[in-house]
Amino acid sequence: MTQPVSIIMVEDDEGHARLIERNIRRSGVNNEIVSFTNGTDAMRHLFGADGSGLVQKGNALLILLDLNLPDMTGIDILRQIKENKYLKASPVVVLTTTDDSQEIKRCYELGCNVYITKPVNYENFANAIRQLGLFFSVIQVPPAAP
Amino acid sequence: MTAEAQRRRTFWQILLFAAGLLVLTVISAGSVYLVNKAREDSKWVVHTIEVENQTHALLLEIRRAESAARGFLLTREDNFRADHEKAVAAIIPALDKLTRLSADNPTQRENVEKLSAAIETRLSQFAREMAFVRQGEPDKAMAVVREAAAQDVTTRITAIGTAMIQEEERLFRLRTVSADRSQTIAASMTGVGSGLVVVLALISIWLVRRSALGRDEAEARLRDANLNLESIVDERTADLREANEEIQRFAYIVSHDLRSPLVNIMGFTSELEELGGDIFRRIGGLARVPAEGAPLAPAGPGEIVLEGADKQLSADFSEALGFIKSSIAKMDRLISAILNLTREGRREFQPVKIDTRELISAIVSTLAHQAAEAQAEIHLEPLPDVVSDRLALEQIFSNLIDNAIKYLRNGVPGEIRIRGRTKLGYAIFEISDNGRGIDPKDHQRIFDLFRRAGTQDKPGQGIGLAHVRALVRRLGGTMSVSSELNAGSTFTITLPIAWNVSNRNRD
Repeated sequence: MTQPVSIIMVEDDEGHARLIERNIRRSGVNNEIVSFTNGTDAMRHLFGADGSGLVQKGNALLILLDLNLPDMTGIDILRQIKENKYLKASPVVVLTTTDDSQEIKRCYELGCNVYITKPVNYENFANAIRQLGLFFSVIQVPPAAP
Repeated sequence: MTAEAQRRRTFWQILLFAAGLLVLTVISAGSVYLVNKAREDSKWVVHTIEVENQTHALLLEIRRAESAARGFLLTREDNFRADHEKAVAAIIPALDKLTRLSADNPTQRENVEKLSAAIETRLSQFAREMAFVRQGEPDKAMAVVREAAAQDVTTRITAIGTAMIQEEERLFRLRTVSADRSQTIAASMTGVGSGLVVVLALISIWLVRRSALGRDEAEARLRDANLNLESIVDERTADLREANEEIQRFAYIVSHDLRSPLVNIMGFTSELEELGGDIFRRIGGLARVPAEGAPLAPAGPGEIVLEGADKQLSADFSEALGFIKSSIAKMDRLISAILNLTREGRREFQPVKIDTRELISAIVSTLAHQAAEAQAEIHLEPLPDVVSDRLALEQIFSNLIDNAIKYLRNGVPGEIRIRGRTKLGYAIFEISDNGRGIDPKDHQRIFDLFRRAGTQDKPGQGIGLAHVRALVRRLGGTMSVSSELNAGSTFTITLPIAWNVSNRNRD
């Protein structure tokens, strides 16, 4: 059973979201992208109304996460994803403006797969996103949990 | 306690002490005087008794002489005669003695004169009487006795003697009273004096106790004040720390949040650039259509063929985007600088023992290339070791040495000197150069963030010195510059020799 990976993007800045989407598309990735501009909506989508994460059972997800959200921090979302048995196998890419080494370390400790700082140098950023597209095309869909 | 009260207290204590001394002196002098007086008084009492005794003795001798004379007259026995002569012989010395003794008293002297006159009369009567008896004429002797009895000389002598005794008794009474009084006075004087001394001592003890109490109170107040002061200092420090933290957070959030829109600006500017490329490529393609008569495939990417006004438009477009992009890059650098500074402000320092000379030698070797390019020589003099944060010290010295190399005078071989010494628990480092120097009016400005001074011919953000000063301050030190334009600069850094976490890292 193969299933296309759906990309969940949690990003409060619509401009950033648009730039990320464009670059993903430009690198030839055509997967579905579901965007959220705040943490609450994203959490509801990921964990369902009951908060158990059962709704996403068997779904292949890739999560793009911004750390600075208006209603909560991305770190919290990251932790909950990695603690949930249905979601913890999904790769998480942290995208943020901060290049604070402490924060990067923290994210990797919590289990984030890739950490990308949004550089103002646009070429670097576009490259990173395109690499990410390549990354998407080679990742294995996590085996659906029984 | 005020100084006035203290002085008053001291004054009172001195006064009390003086009063005590005075009382003791008076008592001593009075005692000596009174003891002398008492001795005098008793001497007089004794004298009175002596006079009285002498008078009695004299009268007794006269009686003896008289009775012995009578016995001789009656019996004519020689032993009565010898007895009489012995008594008569004793009378004159006794009288002389009495005269001597009573010389002090006019009344008694008069009495003694009268007495001696009467005694002389009586003695001559005795002599005549005895002579008659010896000549064997008892009748004549009898006549003398009768005559003597008629003259009543003996009675007069007795009367005078009795008067004298009475006088002496009167004197005795007087003198006894006087002696008693002297003794009473001496006793009461001693008593009163002792009492006074005791009272003064009590007052002194009270005063000493009171001042001790005052001192204890003052000590307690001082302790309270100290505690109070400490708590005030703690409070202020906490306030300052809070304010500092708030500024740090503020700077962090501001720079972080400023960066977010910048990403968009940059991102969409790049998008615009690409769009612009596409548009002008298309315009180029369209412009050539009518000329060549047939539609062409759009030009390949990268080569935009434009002519005339279109070319100008494209150039203007690119120029505008270029300015926007360079401004964004600059803004990004500034924001990054602020972020780095706030991050530095949050970094925990780790005090370790640092071989300063080795640390600076390492910095100098990494800057050797720049130094060689600038024809600069770096001299390292002996430096004191310190306990401090290694990374912070590296940043401080590399910034300062880098600056020294960077701002040398063109065409003048650079000479950079790093000196060190210690003073009162602080290590003082001086980094001096023979470079272009800094105008004294800019000495404050160079330490401000994003501010620079002098000819702007070298790349830089105006961050280095602000950063260095912030680090030095966090390490509990101070930093200053002395410099004249075209006369080199000396940056002086004072750092505690042994920095520890408690003295400054709490902020």
